[in-house]
Amino acid sequence: MKATNISRCRRFFRRLQTALMAFFLLAGISQIQAAQDQETLIKQGKYLAEIGDCVACHTPQGGRELSGGLPFETPFGIVYSTNITSDKETGIGHYSYRDFYRAMHEGISPDGNLYPAMPYTSYHLLTEQDTRALYAYFMNTKPVRQENKASEIGFPFNIRMGLKAWNLMNHKDGEFTPDPAKSDSWNRGSYLVNVLGHCGECHTPRDATFAMRPEAHFQGAVLDTFEASDITPQELNRQNWTHEDLRQLFTRGYSRKGTVFGGMYPVVYHSYSHLTEQDMRAVTSYLLDNEADIAEQPLTFNGHDKQAPGYNLYMGYCAGCHGQDGEGRPHVAPALAGNATLDRSSAFNAVSLLLNGIVSQHYNSTTSFYAMPAYADKFDDRQLTDLVNYMRTTWTSQKADIRLSAVAEIRINMKQSLH
Amino acid sequence: MSRHIQMTVNGQQVGPVEVPEGLKMIEFLHEYLNLTGTKFGCGVGVCHACTVIVEGKNGVSEVVRSCISGVERFAGKKVRTIEGHAKRNEAGEITELSPVQMAFLEHFSFQCGWCTSGFVNETTALMERLAKNPVAVSDVEQVVEEALKEHICRCTGYVKYYQGVKALILNTRGLTY
Repeated sequence: MKATNISRCRRFFRRLQTALMAFFLLAGISQIQAAQDQETLIKQGKYLAEIGDCVACHTPQGGRELSGGLPFETPFGIVYSTNITSDKETGIGHYSYRDFYRAMHEGISPDGNLYPAMPYTSYHLLTEQDTRALYAYFMNTKPVRQENKASEIGFPFNIRMGLKAWNLMNHKDGEFTPDPAKSDSWNRGSYLVNVLGHCGECHTPRDATFAMRPEAHFQGAVLDTFEASDITPQELNRQNWTHEDLRQLFTRGYSRKGTVFGGMYPVVYHSYSHLTEQDMRAVTSYLLDNEADIAEQPLTFNGHDKQAPGYNLYMGYCAGCHGQDGEGRPHVAPALAGNATLDRSSAFNAVSLLLNGIVSQHYNSTTSFYAMPAYADKFDDRQLTDLVNYMRTTWTSQKADIRLSAVAEIRINMKQSLH
Repeated sequence: MSRHIQMTVNGQQVGPVEVPEGLKMIEFLHEYLNLTGTKFGCGVGVCHACTVIVEGKNGVSEVVRSCISGVERFAGKKVRTIEGHAKRNEAGEITELSPVQMAFLEHFSFQCGWCTSGFVNETTALMERLAKNPVAVSDVEQVVEEALKEHICRCTGYVKYYQGVKALILNTRGLTY
């Protein structure tokens, strides 16, 4: 071989070596980049899943997170939440992105139509980017092998084909559309509250087909033993909720307006307490429909009417925890002055809380509220009426207009919902 | 503002007596009746040391925490405290302990004794409930656990309390089947 050929050959191999090195280096970098992107996506999905409160519905009592099996009483029978861990056989690990998208947006899983207990009627407004992030997260959750429980829905509602008709009537997929007249923060709040937080599912009354009534958005609805409150800006502003009140309620479970209870406790514990500061402000701005700070009004205490029939009942049964003047005790019982449960036109929650009590609530190592006992066996309807009217007139601007018949009706409804 | 209250405590008519508004039952027992056997523990209704017995609807006894209950709650009612269990002679000397008190003595149940009156009252009410509605022998352990689980013993003497109550129920005719 000639010397020129040898040097040409050497040059060729040197170039090839350089090119290969560059290729592997770039491939390595793009692999690292991809891994980093995936990690960011999973992290984002985890945050979104928290705000969506998936854990609350998909975790059985004392069971493994997201493994399903929690029962939901519906008017048609019991539906059990499903295993949404990444287990490929019993969970959703075998879902393609398309399968996941359809479940979240259309309420259709690879096994058929989902019951609307899964709030796809709210989730369908998720952006494509957020749906991808959620998919990335769920496909990377710890797989838990746990078979799904069959629902106990009676005929003819157990025929899932019927859900297609329900979807045709009540569900239309589409993306979240920001309101151009509002700020970015307000729109972000709307997205978090209406879409991921799916607050409307509980706080909006439903029509005869059990679909949310858009014209009554957030006006409150009775769910078994409690009433999800009216959370329209009009009502929240009437009750003088401030941004700080809502922030405290959503992060600690209590504020000067009272504590959360019933279905709101898991929402705060698993979900809203994880909101970033910026998102929290967006949520409160949307709920109050006001981005400016709100002045805190003094809480109402009209003084005791010692001749009122509810006075003795209050002093005997309630003052020990809620205070002689309704001042409450930190970490034991909320104050009653300005208490949101009392300060509403409906006495449903005030009566139902007295009938059923509240289970103890734990937030962190220093914040817990004690259980409130149930007084269903202690008070008759007359006593309940007197007590609720007494508390309303003493600590709110509401009138003593709760009637005995209304209280009796709540007790009857309660018995039915508790069987 | 003061109020007039009357009730029956350990079979004795009390009042009408003038009490200040907001007075808790445990203060009434201690300060007005000199019945100091009911102990003040946590003060927020959690430890159940202050438990007393009130005759409820249809003669069924119920237990009430006196540290969080206003004296108004007991107006016109029949109340039993730890001082009302043992039998006494005309001179007021104790002649016989109640079966529950004896069971705790025999099992060396208490240590410092602060929680004991609460345990005695709760167990007495339980025995009365079981006399009306007996339970299967196999369920006794669960029934005892259910009745006593809220009572806190800061000396952690739970085992002997639970053993004492279980033995008492099993050895008392008519409480089990």
